[in-house]
Amino acid sequence: MGGELLESSSSPSYTEIFYEHFPFYLSIGMTYDQYWNDDCLLVKYYRKAHELGKQQRNQELWMQGLYIYEALCDVAPILHAFAKPGTRPLPYSEKPYPLTKEEAVANKEAEEKAARAVAKAKFEAWAASLKLPEHKVVNADGH
Amino acid sequence: MAKQIRFEHDGKEYTLEFTRKSIETMERQGFIASDIADKPMTTLPALFAGAFLAHHRYVKKELVDEIYSKMTNKQDLLSKLAEMYNEPIQALMEEPEDAVGNVKWEASF
Repeated sequence: MGGELLESSSSPSYTEIFYEHFPFYLSIGMTYDQYWNDDCLLVKYYRKAHELGKQQRNQELWMQGLYIYEALCDVAPILHAFAKPGTRPLPYSEKPYPLTKEEAVANKEAEEKAARAVAKAKFEAWAASLKLPEHKVVNADGH
Repeated sequence: MAKQIRFEHDGKEYTLEFTRKSIETMERQGFIASDIADKPMTTLPALFAGAFLAHHRYVKKELVDEIYSKMTNKQDLLSKLAEMYNEPIQALMEEPEDAVGNVKWEASF
Protein backbone atom coordinates (compact mmCIF):
# COMPACT_ATOMS: atom_id res chain seq x y z
CA MET A 1 0.00 0.00 0.00
CA GLY A 2 1.37 3.33 -0.95
CA GLY A 3 3.97 1.67 -3.14
CA GLU A 4 2.41 3.22 -6.21
CA LEU A 5 3.31 6.63 -4.82
CA LEU A 6 6.97 5.69 -4.38
CA GLU A 7 7.22 4.02 -7.76
CA SER A 8 5.54 6.80 -9.67
CA SER A 9 7.42 7.27 -12.92
CA SER A 10 7.20 11.04 -12.41
CA SER A 11 9.33 10.99 -9.25
CA PRO A 12 12.79 12.30 -10.07
CA SER A 13 15.92 10.21 -9.59
CA TYR A 14 18.50 11.18 -6.99
CA THR A 15 20.76 12.36 -9.80
CA GLU A 16 18.08 14.71 -11.10
CA ILE A 17 17.59 16.16 -7.62
CA PHE A 18 21.34 16.58 -7.22
CA TYR A 19 21.54 18.50 -10.51
CA GLU A 20 18.50 20.59 -9.56
CA HIS A 21 20.22 21.80 -6.38
CA PHE A 22 23.69 22.08 -7.87
CA PRO A 23 23.45 25.70 -9.20
CA PHE A 24 22.41 27.02 -5.80
CA TYR A 25 25.46 25.52 -4.10
CA LEU A 26 27.71 26.82 -6.86
CA SER A 27 26.22 30.27 -6.27
CA ILE A 28 27.12 30.18 -2.56
CA GLY A 29 30.72 29.24 -3.19
CA MET A 30 30.88 25.44 -3.27
CA THR A 31 33.15 23.97 -5.92
CA TYR A 32 32.18 21.20 -8.32
CA ASP A 33 34.47 18.79 -6.51
CA GLN A 34 33.14 19.67 -3.05
CA TYR A 35 29.53 19.16 -4.15
CA TRP A 36 29.99 15.93 -6.05
CA ASN A 37 32.97 14.20 -4.45
CA ASP A 38 33.48 15.55 -0.94
CA ASP A 39 31.68 14.78 2.30
CA CYS A 40 27.97 14.88 1.43
CA LEU A 41 27.17 16.80 4.62
CA LEU A 42 29.28 19.77 3.54
CA VAL A 43 26.18 21.30 1.94
CA LYS A 44 24.63 21.82 5.40
CA TYR A 45 27.59 23.93 6.52
CA TYR A 46 27.57 25.91 3.28
CA ARG A 47 23.87 26.63 3.80
CA LYS A 48 24.53 27.74 7.39
CA ALA A 49 27.46 29.90 6.27
CA HIS A 50 25.24 31.39 3.56
CA GLU A 51 22.60 32.29 6.18
CA LEU A 52 25.24 33.92 8.39
CA GLY A 53 26.60 35.82 5.39
CA LYS A 54 23.10 37.13 4.59
CA GLN A 55 22.62 38.27 8.20
CA GLN A 56 26.00 40.01 8.15
CA ARG A 57 25.17 41.73 4.87
CA ASN A 58 21.84 42.85 6.29
CA GLN A 59 23.62 44.25 9.36
CA GLU A 60 26.09 46.12 7.15
CA LEU A 61 23.30 47.63 5.06
CA TRP A 62 21.49 48.67 8.22
CA MET A 63 24.65 50.34 9.52
CA GLN A 64 25.13 52.09 6.20
CA GLY A 65 21.57 53.41 6.46
CA LEU A 66 22.35 54.66 9.95
CA TYR A 67 25.45 56.53 8.74
CA ILE A 68 23.47 58.10 5.89
CA TYR A 69 20.71 59.08 8.31
CA GLU A 70 23.24 60.69 10.64
CA ALA A 71 24.92 62.52 7.76
CA LEU A 72 21.54 63.90 6.64
CA CYS A 73 20.71 65.01 10.18
CA ASP A 74 24.13 66.68 10.50
CA VAL A 75 23.78 68.60 7.29
CA ALA A 76 20.07 69.40 7.81
CA PRO A 77 20.63 72.82 9.46
CA ILE A 78 22.15 74.29 6.29
CA LEU A 79 19.53 72.71 4.05
CA HIS A 80 16.84 74.75 5.74
CA ALA A 81 15.47 77.33 3.30
CA PHE A 82 15.33 80.03 5.97
CA ALA A 83 18.52 79.12 7.76
CA LYS A 84 20.28 82.07 9.39
CA PRO A 85 23.42 83.31 7.66
CA GLY A 86 26.51 81.62 9.05
CA THR A 87 24.67 78.41 9.94
CA ARG A 88 27.05 75.49 9.83
CA PRO A 89 26.42 71.77 9.54
CA LEU A 90 26.85 69.67 12.67
CA PRO A 91 30.13 67.76 12.74
CA TYR A 92 29.95 64.18 11.46
CA SER A 93 31.08 61.39 13.81
CA GLU A 94 34.85 61.31 14.10
CA LYS A 95 34.94 57.53 14.38
CA PRO A 96 32.83 54.66 13.10
CA TYR A 97 30.18 53.35 15.50
CA PRO A 98 31.53 50.71 17.84
CA LEU A 99 30.40 47.23 16.93
CA THR A 100 31.32 45.44 20.14
CA LYS A 101 30.87 46.21 23.84
CA GLU A 102 34.66 46.23 24.32
CA GLU A 103 35.07 48.73 21.51
CA ALA A 104 32.37 50.95 23.04
CA VAL A 105 34.06 50.86 26.47
CA ALA A 106 37.49 51.58 24.93
CA ASN A 107 36.03 54.53 22.96
CA LYS A 108 34.40 55.95 26.09
CA GLU A 109 37.64 55.62 28.08
CA ALA A 110 39.59 57.34 25.31
CA GLU A 111 37.06 60.21 25.22
CA GLU A 112 37.25 60.61 29.00
CA LYS A 113 41.05 60.59 28.88
CA ALA A 114 41.07 63.25 26.17
CA ALA A 115 38.58 65.39 28.16
CA ARG A 116 40.79 65.12 31.27
CA ALA A 117 43.86 66.15 29.27
CA VAL A 118 42.01 69.22 27.94
CA ALA A 119 40.81 70.17 31.46
CA LYS A 120 44.34 69.75 32.83
CA ALA A 121 45.82 71.92 30.07
CA LYS A 122 43.21 74.61 30.72
CA PHE A 123 43.88 74.57 34.43
CA GLU A 124 47.65 74.83 33.90
CA ALA A 125 47.17 77.71 31.50
CA TRP A 126 44.92 79.46 34.02
CA ALA A 127 47.40 78.82 36.87
CA ALA A 128 50.25 80.19 34.81
CA SER A 129 48.29 83.36 34.07
CA LEU A 130 47.87 84.13 37.77
CA LYS A 131 50.46 86.47 39.30
CA LEU A 132 51.12 84.60 42.48
CA PRO A 133 53.88 85.82 44.90
CA GLU A 134 57.07 83.86 44.46
CA HIS A 135 57.96 81.38 47.21
CA LYS A 136 61.32 81.99 48.81
CA VAL A 137 63.19 78.96 49.99
CA VAL A 138 64.52 79.55 53.47
CA ASN A 139 67.27 77.29 54.68
CA ALA A 140 67.67 76.17 58.31
CA ASP A 141 70.54 78.60 58.86
CA GLY A 142 68.22 81.50 57.97
CA HIS A 143 69.77 82.35 54.59
CA MET B 1 31.11 13.95 8.74
CA ALA B 2 29.27 11.59 6.40
CA LYS B 3 28.38 8.08 7.52
CA GLN B 4 30.99 5.49 6.61
CA ILE B 5 31.63 1.78 7.02
CA ARG B 6 35.25 0.79 7.67
CA PHE B 7 36.80 -2.66 7.60
CA GLU B 8 40.02 -4.42 6.84
CA HIS B 9 40.53 -7.13 4.23
CA ASP B 10 43.81 -8.84 3.45
CA GLY B 11 45.72 -6.22 5.41
CA LYS B 12 44.16 -3.29 3.55
CA GLU B 13 41.84 -0.71 5.11
CA TYR B 14 38.61 0.03 3.25
CA THR B 15 36.21 2.93 3.77
CA LEU B 16 32.77 2.68 2.25
CA GLU B 17 30.89 5.92 1.66
CA PHE B 18 28.47 7.44 -0.83
CA THR B 19 29.07 10.76 -2.52
CA ARG B 20 26.71 12.45 -4.96
CA LYS B 21 29.04 11.49 -7.77
CA SER B 22 29.04 7.80 -6.80
CA ILE B 23 25.22 7.79 -6.64
CA GLU B 24 25.08 9.49 -10.04
CA THR B 25 27.43 6.82 -11.44
CA MET B 26 25.34 4.03 -9.94
CA GLU B 27 22.09 5.46 -11.33
CA ARG B 28 23.71 5.87 -14.73
CA GLN B 29 24.56 2.17 -14.59
CA GLY B 30 20.92 1.28 -13.88
CA PHE B 31 20.71 1.25 -10.11
CA ILE B 32 17.25 2.22 -8.82
CA ALA B 33 16.90 3.26 -5.18
CA SER B 34 13.36 1.93 -4.79
CA ASP B 35 14.61 -1.59 -5.57
CA ILE B 36 16.28 -1.61 -2.14
CA ALA B 37 12.83 -2.14 -0.59
CA ASP B 38 11.47 -4.45 -3.29
CA LYS B 39 14.43 -6.69 -4.06
CA PRO B 40 16.86 -6.26 -1.18
CA MET B 41 18.93 -9.39 -1.74
CA THR B 42 19.65 -8.68 -5.40
CA THR B 43 20.19 -4.97 -4.80
CA LEU B 44 22.58 -5.35 -1.89
CA PRO B 45 25.62 -6.47 -3.95
CA ALA B 46 25.17 -3.48 -6.28
CA LEU B 47 24.73 -1.15 -3.33
CA PHE B 48 27.83 -2.63 -1.69
CA ALA B 49 29.86 -2.23 -4.89
CA GLY B 50 28.65 1.36 -5.28
CA ALA B 51 29.92 2.23 -1.83
CA PHE B 52 33.46 1.52 -3.08
CA LEU B 53 33.29 4.23 -5.74
CA ALA B 54 34.01 7.14 -3.39
CA HIS B 55 37.34 5.90 -1.96
CA HIS B 56 38.27 2.77 -3.91
CA ARG B 57 37.07 3.45 -7.44
CA TYR B 58 39.63 1.19 -9.09
CA VAL B 59 39.10 -1.93 -7.00
CA LYS B 60 38.16 -4.80 -9.34
CA LYS B 61 34.63 -6.21 -9.31
CA GLU B 62 35.97 -9.70 -8.51
CA LEU B 63 37.59 -8.40 -5.34
CA VAL B 64 34.45 -6.49 -4.33
CA ASP B 65 32.38 -9.65 -4.83
CA GLU B 66 34.88 -11.65 -2.81
CA ILE B 67 34.78 -9.15 0.06
CA TYR B 68 30.98 -9.08 -0.14
CA SER B 69 30.77 -12.84 0.12
CA LYS B 70 32.81 -12.70 3.31
CA MET B 71 30.77 -9.92 4.94
CA THR B 72 28.81 -11.07 7.96
CA ASN B 73 25.38 -9.90 9.14
CA LYS B 74 24.14 -8.88 5.70
CA GLN B 75 20.73 -7.74 6.94
CA ASP B 76 22.35 -5.05 9.06
CA LEU B 77 24.78 -4.26 6.28
CA LEU B 78 21.85 -3.59 3.93
CA SER B 79 20.13 -1.25 6.37
CA LYS B 80 23.36 0.66 7.04
CA LEU B 81 24.18 0.95 3.34
CA ALA B 82 20.63 2.15 2.59
CA GLU B 83 20.99 4.77 5.32
CA MET B 84 24.33 5.88 3.87
CA TYR B 85 22.87 5.94 0.34
CA ASN B 86 20.12 8.31 1.44
CA GLU B 87 22.43 10.67 3.30
CA PRO B 88 23.60 12.78 0.31
CA ILE B 89 20.01 13.58 -0.65
CA GLN B 90 18.82 14.13 2.91
CA ALA B 91 21.60 16.66 3.43
CA LEU B 92 20.07 18.74 0.63
CA MET B 93 16.66 18.88 2.26
CA GLU B 94 16.04 21.65 4.77
CA GLU B 95 14.77 20.57 8.17
CA PRO B 96 11.89 22.81 9.27
CA GLU B 97 12.74 25.20 12.08
CA ASP B 98 11.79 23.90 15.51
CA ALA B 99 8.58 25.80 16.03
CA VAL B 100 5.09 25.45 17.37
CA GLY B 101 2.94 23.52 14.92
CA ASN B 102 5.62 21.14 13.64
CA VAL B 103 4.44 17.54 13.77
CA LYS B 104 6.58 15.21 15.88
CA TRP B 105 6.48 11.53 14.98
CA GLU B 106 8.14 8.27 15.92
CA ALA B 107 8.22 4.74 14.50
CA SER B 108 7.64 1.55 16.48
CA PHE B 109 10.17 -0.55 14.52
